Amino acid sequence: MPKFYHDDEAWADIAPLPQDDGGLHPLAAISYSDEYSEAMGYLRAVMAKNEYSDRVLGLTEHIISMNPAHYTVWLYRANTISEIGRPLQDEIAWLNPTALKHMKNYQIWHHRHTIIDALGSADGEAEFISSMLEKDSKNYHVWSYRQWLVKRFDLFDKPEELEWTHSMIESDVRNNSAWNHRYYIVVGGREGKLSVELAKQEIGYTQAAIRKAPQNQSPWNYILGILRAAELPKSTLKDFTCEFADVQRPEEVYSSHALDILADIYAEEENSKENAAKALELLATKYDPIRANYWNYRKGLLDQPNIAA
Amino acid sequence: MSLVSGPGRAAVAGLPGDMHLFVDKHVRYIQRLDSRKDELEYWLTEHLRLNGLYWGLTALYLLGHPDALPRSGILDFVFSCLHEDGGFGAAPGHDAHMLYTVSGVQILATLDAFGELEDRVKGGRQKIGKFIADLQDPKTGTFAGDEWGEQDTRFLYGALNALSLMGLLDLVDVEKAVQHVHSCANFDGGYGTSPGTESHSGQVFTCVGALTIAGRLDLVNQEKLGAWLSERQLKNGGLNGRPEKKEDVCYSWWVMSSMAMLDKLHWIDGEKLTKFILQCQDPELGGLADRPGDMVDVFHTVFGIAGLSLLKYPGLEEVDPLHATIRHS
Ligand SMILES: [Zn+2]
Repeated sequence: MPKFYHDDEAWADIAPLPQDDGGLHPLAAISYSDEYSEAMGYLRAVMAKNEYSDRVLGLTEHIISMNPAHYTVWLYRANTISEIGRPLQDEIAWLNPTALKHMKNYQIWHHRHTIIDALGSADGEAEFISSMLEKDSKNYHVWSYRQWLVKRFDLFDKPEELEWTHSMIESDVRNNSAWNHRYYIVVGGREGKLSVELAKQEIGYTQAAIRKAPQNQSPWNYILGILRAAELPKSTLKDFTCEFADVQRPEEVYSSHALDILADIYAEEENSKENAAKALELLATKYDPIRANYWNYRKGLLDQPNIAA
Repeated sequence: MSLVSGPGRAAVAGLPGDMHLFVDKHVRYIQRLDSRKDELEYWLTEHLRLNGLYWGLTALYLLGHPDALPRSGILDFVFSCLHEDGGFGAAPGHDAHMLYTVSGVQILATLDAFGELEDRVKGGRQKIGKFIADLQDPKTGTFAGDEWGEQDTRFLYGALNALSLMGLLDLVDVEKAVQHVHSCANFDGGYGTSPGTESHSGQVFTCVGALTIAGRLDLVNQEKLGAWLSERQLKNGGLNGRPEKKEDVCYSWWVMSSMAMLDKLHWIDGEKLTKFILQCQDPELGGLADRPGDMVDVFHTVFGIAGLSLLKYPGLEEVDPLHATIRHS
């Protein structure tokens, strides 16, 4: 149901301010939605007299429901909340369904950020995040927010965090955001070096995921990241990559990513340059020809002495 | 400039054999955008008006029709968005924000109008520079978008971009900004919005752009990042923003301009990508969509055309991969 202000007693003291559209076509007739137009007029009016009140809170809520991307409205709402001392839990309770309605909006996230930060508690946030990811499991804002929570409330060592990440990977092994989050909690967000034991555990975990979908970039990137963090050589993966690619049997390659790593492993071995060249050749001609120039560049590097790939 | 999508859609099936860029249709599409004030979406996208103007203007320059919009009208609008403190809002009555300030500066640079800025606002260039510089976080070197405090590598790039266009880079701590960008490098070679967040082509563009402006590409693992960027190309020729996501015309710009700065543009198949971009045109009413069959809009129109410019599509002006503006020769 549309909401109007001109016949509302509570707003009788306010004269809405008209739209100034900047003079590009000042005389053009404006007939956009009366409801939105009127609400904006009242907002301009209360902003002009710096009013912070419950009714302003309601007005911003109304405008946000029509146009959540209007950042000025959010800013004014944030100021109103602090001016009138609105309980932050109430704001979060309002924000939850609003965020679900407007998944790709930037402002909502920053707003939530500041409120949870001020509240000093992440209680209920995991449930909220799950409900967001149910609608869009790769939403960039949600995952970034989750990382912020992990850091702000030091959740790195909470077993639930890794378990949850595992469940997200389990439900979609191709979810790159989930793999990135796993890296963040295992290595990226922490200080210090990754232990060899933990690295081995992660390598085993990732190998199982790769076997489910060998042509999936995310776990391959992840496993290489783990190797680097633990300062282990790529050759650690030699037997594993051979499960998916063998240069002697060019018809039976199940993963271009395996072939890519194999090329690097061969390039670093004594007397295996020929195999490295074969692997890159297969990528350039058969398994990833759209990037032939890249693979040929890599092949060219093989002829240079002492190139560590 | 209106951000309203449509009215048309990109063709669903591939266009017939001789595919080409419908230059005149796109010019008219952009000219008409601002005459759609009777549509609600025109007003709902008001928070993007100044960006939209910049996108439309850049598209027209690239298409070789720089005069298709009236210069004085554009400048009137741009100056009406400028606040006392040197920041630009998206439209009159909108708060100042980094994103619009950058668009404002880019438009002034494109129109070569810094002289007119000084005529209208004494010391205008310095004021804008100060607005931007004040948004740098002295502790971390990164930038906020506005007084509200949201931080993102998009704002950092925007700041360095605008300041370098105005010759005012010395107003900020570039070295600190560089260190912050460096801390956003991920294990897969890409960059995110802040340290540890997922690699994303758009953020890669902002980080590589910032480091290019600062002259610090030596900090980038160029081969690894180049490989990650080239992996964004899918079998249909289009580029995606992250692994396992769908292709989208705007990534033609974010991915390719990054590759151009790294001198690795030849690592993707330009012919296939050109075909994909051309398929995203509405051959009737002009404009480009994110992918074939979807509604067109000015955002995808400019970044599709800018992508074609990087691919040296015949007849287009040359785009500057670093500033995302027209290259002034
Ligand atoms: Zn897009």
